Amino acid sequence: MKFLKQLFVIAIITLTISACETDDFCEISSPTPNLILRFYDKDVNDDLKIAQRLSIIANGKTDSLYTNRSVDSIAIPLNTNTTETIYTFKRNEADGNLAGNETATLTIRYTPEEEYLSRSCGFRFIFNNITFEKTGWIDSLSVTTLETINSQENAHVNIFH
Amino acid sequence: MRTSTFFISICLVLCFNLLNAQDIGINKEQPKDTVVYKTGYGLRLGVDLSKASLSFFDKSYNGLEIVGDYRISSRWYLAAEIGYEEEITFEDFTTSSAKGNYIRVGANYNTYNNWLDMNNEIYVGGRYGVALFDHTLESYNPNVTTGDVNVPIYFPSTPVNTPVTETGLTAQWLEFVFGIKVETFKNLFIGFSGSFKIATAIEDQLGFKTLYAPGFNDILNSSTGFGYNYTLTYLIPFVNK
Repeated sequence: MKFLKQLFVIAIITLTISACETDDFCEISSPTPNLILRFYDKDVNDDLKIAQRLSIIANGKTDSLYTNRSVDSIAIPLNTNTTETIYTFKRNEADGNLAGNETATLTIRYTPEEEYLSRSCGFRFIFNNITFEKTGWIDSLSVTTLETINSQENAHVNIFH
Repeated sequence: MRTSTFFISICLVLCFNLLNAQDIGINKEQPKDTVVYKTGYGLRLGVDLSKASLSFFDKSYNGLEIVGDYRISSRWYLAAEIGYEEEITFEDFTTSSAKGNYIRVGANYNTYNNWLDMNNEIYVGGRYGVALFDHTLESYNPNVTTGDVNVPIYFPSTPVNTPVTETGLTAQWLEFVFGIKVETFKNLFIGFSGSFKIATAIEDQLGFKTLYAPGFNDILNSSTGFGYNYTLTYLIPFVNK
């Protein structure tokens, strides 16, 4: 009897607390994975090489994704509404003058696939059967095809330049 | 909704303390009484007022629940609820709906020692619940957020507004119930109960997840849920014992 009464009180308290439970928010940053690129030296393949004053824009867009950043790795989103995203990479190894600008393009083709995550995060996209093509100052790529991109824990492609 | 549940729960805690205090006082002071007070045994039927009022005020909800119990001994009652619910669940990235019928069966144990011929209850109980329902993914917006408010979305996703329905889904669960019932007029009871539910089997629609099951309420990530009831019931007494 006493036990049941205690149980009752505990249950009431549980309900009281649970009534204050906050709605959960999506805690996964960037549920739809970005494409992660790392820049390596084309002569010494193990060394990272910073791409100087890098600006990135996708074909068909009027606003740049990044402008004038010197980085050795970047995360770029893929367009989930189409099966192809073409990025133009502009770098400037010299002094930032217009004459020193060099461009390269990276064409990414893929099959987007929807995947349900959770109540708070909803649906995301993952990408399958990915192929890469390059032009310009990009010397070579570590891979030209990938089976799937479903996380962004590791770099997907190394760019040698 | 949650705020009202919270305040009502607080009130219940206070009420319970009051009842408990009186209970102890009486037990100590009163000598053993040889007069046997009789209370009614029979079928008690009623409705869940919260679902009825929610149907009226909340455009995204429609539901009705009939509650009933049958007294089998001085403390034990067989209890069941049967109902229909239709609910739209709005989340940040999805909108879904569920509608269907459910039944919960089980028993209640009255832990309260009544005075004289009073017939009130503070009870704990258990239920097994089963629902048959349709679940619809009404619309969704694929989540392409960047995880950083300073980084804008470069390629916004296209919202999908074509509803997809799957019919004939089932859900089964167990619940722990606790509540009170107070006889206000002769044979007319008002009651409150709260429940904690643990899903044992929930069918999901293809490529999606069941977020709400009729009779169960919101299905939390851990496959658990909470429910509550405000009931108005009438006792049809068959016999006084």
